[in-house]
Amino acid sequence: MSLLAVNNLAIATGGHDLVADLSFAIEPGQRLGLIGESGSGKSLTAMAISGLLPPAIVPRGSVTLDGVEVIGAPERKLNKLRGAASAVVFQEPLTALDPLMKLGRQLAEPLRRRFRREGRDLAGIEAETIALLERVSLPQPQRIANAYPYEVSGGQRQRVAIAMALACRPKLLIADEPTTALDVTTQAEILALLDSLVRDLGMALLFISHDLPVVSTIVDQVLVLRQGRMVETGPVKSVLGTPTQQYTQSLVAAARAFDTALGAR
Amino acid sequence: MTTIELDRPARRSAASLTFIVGLILVGLHVAIALLTLVWTPYDPSSTAGGRLEAPSLLHWAGTDRLGRDLFTQIMIGSRIALQVGIGAVGIGAAIGVTIGVLAAFATRLLDDALAAAFDILIAFPTLLLAMLVVAASDTASLWSAILALGIALSAIVGRLTRILAKRVLQMDFITAARTSGTSWPRIVVIHILPNIWPTLMVNFALQFGLAAIAEASLSYLGLGAPPPNASWGRLLQEAQGTVYTAPFGAIAPGLALLVLVIGINLFADGLRDVGDPTRRRSR
Ligand SMILES: Nc1ncnc2c1ncn2[C@@H]1O[C@H](COP(=O)(O)OP(=O)(O)O)[C@@H](O)[C@H]1O
Ligand SMILES: [Mg+2]
Repeated sequence: MSLLAVNNLAIATGGHDLVADLSFAIEPGQRLGLIGESGSGKSLTAMAISGLLPPAIVPRGSVTLDGVEVIGAPERKLNKLRGAASAVVFQEPLTALDPLMKLGRQLAEPLRRRFRREGRDLAGIEAETIALLERVSLPQPQRIANAYPYEVSGGQRQRVAIAMALACRPKLLIADEPTTALDVTTQAEILALLDSLVRDLGMALLFISHDLPVVSTIVDQVLVLRQGRMVETGPVKSVLGTPTQQYTQSLVAAARAFDTALGAR
Repeated sequence: MTTIELDRPARRSAASLTFIVGLILVGLHVAIALLTLVWTPYDPSSTAGGRLEAPSLLHWAGTDRLGRDLFTQIMIGSRIALQVGIGAVGIGAAIGVTIGVLAAFATRLLDDALAAAFDILIAFPTLLLAMLVVAASDTASLWSAILALGIALSAIVGRLTRILAKRVLQMDFITAARTSGTSWPRIVVIHILPNIWPTLMVNFALQFGLAAIAEASLSYLGLGAPPPNASWGRLLQEAQGTVYTAPFGAIAPGLALLVLVIGINLFADGLRDVGDPTRRRSR
């Protein structure tokens, strides 16, 4: 059975479909890239999977995550699923972290829930917090744990946010444009980190981006989304290498042109 | 850039000076209030001097119509003012924060109803509302005054809490916390309360001053703590008849109230900078 099965998902607001007819599946350990230009419904899809759409936005169809039907599920059931089945890394780590809470304490929160879930001794949380910060290659983990979000760099904040997602040990990691807010060098580092973590921990990955070169380095399969509809899907090589749909072709051409421009500089 | 760099240390030290002066003035009142529990210059009810004596070395603030030492009464008034301030703000905070947070989470209909209720209660002057509550209770006592002011303040706290909590609820880190399975009660405790606390604390301090003034007003009107509690408001009221012949009887308690309220306002101003780590930055 698939870890995540999305069937005929539609997401509507005020009688108007923002996403429609969307179907895909992710098997345990598999990596899928969700690509499309800004506003194509990628983040809404991620929120629908977590059962966290805003009240005014209503999903239809079916989303089965780890054997549980998400759409229409009661809050209690969903909250058990979140963290254990899926966790999310967001685009902007500065706003995704509580400004008034030390990073170590923020990281200890999901850790505590996992320790409870697994019936482990809560005394080990502090050591595990430091270990996780080391795991995401943060220098001086002790200092970072004692720092507030504004006291560390953007790249370091994103590493902490990734550590928080890891702390949940989810079966599916959803990364919603996790490198978009970062500079190019940091982007590459964060991608390499996500790549190795997902491999080592055997997690499935739903990687969301509008940036084709970024997506192609980290996923096996891609799904191209346009105005909330699927345009094309398949292995990364064939979809991005020989795109059959005009929209995908234009995305690829745009990415090439951008690369050439960068190379020519 | 440069101007900001130059500007900041100056403003910071001004802020901390405000805080320190406020702390000293409030601390003085607290020290005096605590002292009255074990010692006062005279027995508050003994007629230790002549009637309406002017301030002297024996009686620092003079004596009242019955010859009782006024400084002793003012010291005890300090204790009553603090008792009322702490009690009223405590009650107002407990009720107000609870209802305010609930309103922030409530369904649209209940939220609107609570918001309207806060607005209506706030439209009543605090003092009028407190007078109604005191009038509704059988006997005027220190506790009925505290309860009355606490209820009046709770609407102000509730409205502020609701607005602040709603603002925090919109923030990305709340959604982020939800995606990892943080429960709503836990989110209130670890994210919402700490984020609204700095602003609430400043507000509580200001309300403390408000409560002290309101209590003096209630006592002045005969609705506050009954004798032998020497509230500043009652001292003022008693000195009213002799304000031309013995003005110190009115000046002294008025001055005590003024110092407390100014101290608390300075303290609240300084507090603004303390609760926020992004402003505590020293680099
Ligand atoms: N809370 C909302 N209310 C109404 N429309 C929304 C809301 N959030 C997103 N949308 C709309 O849904 C569409 C898809 O948004 P989103 O999923 O955020 O796109 P992206 O692919 O850039 O992540 C956009 O047109 C956006 O305007
Ligand atoms: Mg998005």
